Amino acid sequence: MADPTIDTDLPEDVTAAELALGLLEGEERSVVLRRVLAEPGFAAQVEWWRSRLAVLFDLWPERAAPSHIAARIEASLDGVATGTATNVTAAIGTAGPAKVSRFPWPALAAFTSAIAACLLLFVMLRPEPTVPVSQPTPVSRPTSVLVAMLGDAKSPVAAVYDPANGALRVAAGPGVPHAHVAELWVIGGDGVPHSLGLLSAQPTSLAPKGVDRGRIAPGATLAISVEPRGGSPTGLPTGPVVATGVVARV
Amino acid sequence: MTRAYPDADAARAHLSEVLLRTGQEDRDAFRELYTLTSAKLFGITHRICGNAQAAEDVLHEVYLTIWKRAGAWEPGRASPITWLATIARNRAIDWQRAQGVRRTSPLDDAPDIADPGEGAEATLLASESSRELIECLNGLEPQQRDAIRTAFFDGITYAELAIKRAVPLGTMKSWVRRGLARLKDCLDG
Repeated sequence: MADPTIDTDLPEDVTAAELALGLLEGEERSVVLRRVLAEPGFAAQVEWWRSRLAVLFDLWPERAAPSHIAARIEASLDGVATGTATNVTAAIGTAGPAKVSRFPWPALAAFTSAIAACLLLFVMLRPEPTVPVSQPTPVSRPTSVLVAMLGDAKSPVAAVYDPANGALRVAAGPGVPHAHVAELWVIGGDGVPHSLGLLSAQPTSLAPKGVDRGRIAPGATLAISVEPRGGSPTGLPTGPVVATGVVARV
Repeated sequence: MTRAYPDADAARAHLSEVLLRTGQEDRDAFRELYTLTSAKLFGITHRICGNAQAAEDVLHEVYLTIWKRAGAWEPGRASPITWLATIARNRAIDWQRAQGVRRTSPLDDAPDIADPGEGAEATLLASESSRELIECLNGLEPQQRDAIRTAFFDGITYAELAIKRAVPLGTMKSWVRRGLARLKDCLDG
């Protein structure tokens, strides 16, 4: 920002637009993300820019996706939903000839059990290169745990989310002034903070509701703000944001 | 998106309904959602990722995300295709930045994106907000408009934009910020 060629007399602050466009990176982006959390008005500006710029999506040229991707997605979903290769092949089997005519992905019906099972294993193992293949793979738990470290390196607050059971465990929250409480937020793709619950001086286990579970995904931001006792009265952070961290898969 | 429907409103209403049903974990609805939207979303991941394999992997992840998060979509806050396209763009950008390489050269086989400033207005949708944004973009200086469009469609940062256009970072920031400020004035006016 010490760049001498930057105008200092801009009529408007366009930081919200810069964030919405994805122009910022690194520390600059983190600082602005904190503003999203701390200033509801600023969050609304980011949202305004996102929705205005989104009409450009209409100009984006389409490109036919290779037909095998649909099957990969289907196999992944079956892996998540049923947890075993046997069930996956059974599920795909039942999607057979009777439904083919209205089934958008006819290739799926042609899969043999063996191919589907191999595909499932491929899909499940591929995104998790850190898991040694030789290790007995817990097939019933294809989803991995998500973590975020909030705050600075000296006194981080760790948050661990297990998509398998929906439990969000958070280490002891930061110290807060009398009659105040630490509140945990998630900011996902919509750029809007959503409350996940209140923290205490002891480790806390939260059970986010269905919609918010989906928001706790890799790349989402978790943040802690200081709120009046009982939590934010507005549904958005009203007090200072004391720690933020980005959700990552482990 | 709108080819199979007489008008954009009907297409949008239909897509909204399909997305809502997907949010209720209706697999048939999800399959239809894929059929209706995968070409648009693959166009997005392909352009930003810059290679077919990565674009396919990201598209796969995008649809898993959509399946998990569809219940969180709120009709009225964002149009369904905007919501879906935003997920695809963000995921592709995450992938691209995770590679840790600056991508500044043009893609080999990425199609040019029609610039409505050069006479393609007719291809544009009926929606008033689209027309308004395009008209306001057209009112910017060429390098401002180019920088904003490139940031959107290539998903790149200030630093990458500056390298791509071979101008100092400060110059690029100045172009974009002035352009965005004018764009906001125009949209507000």
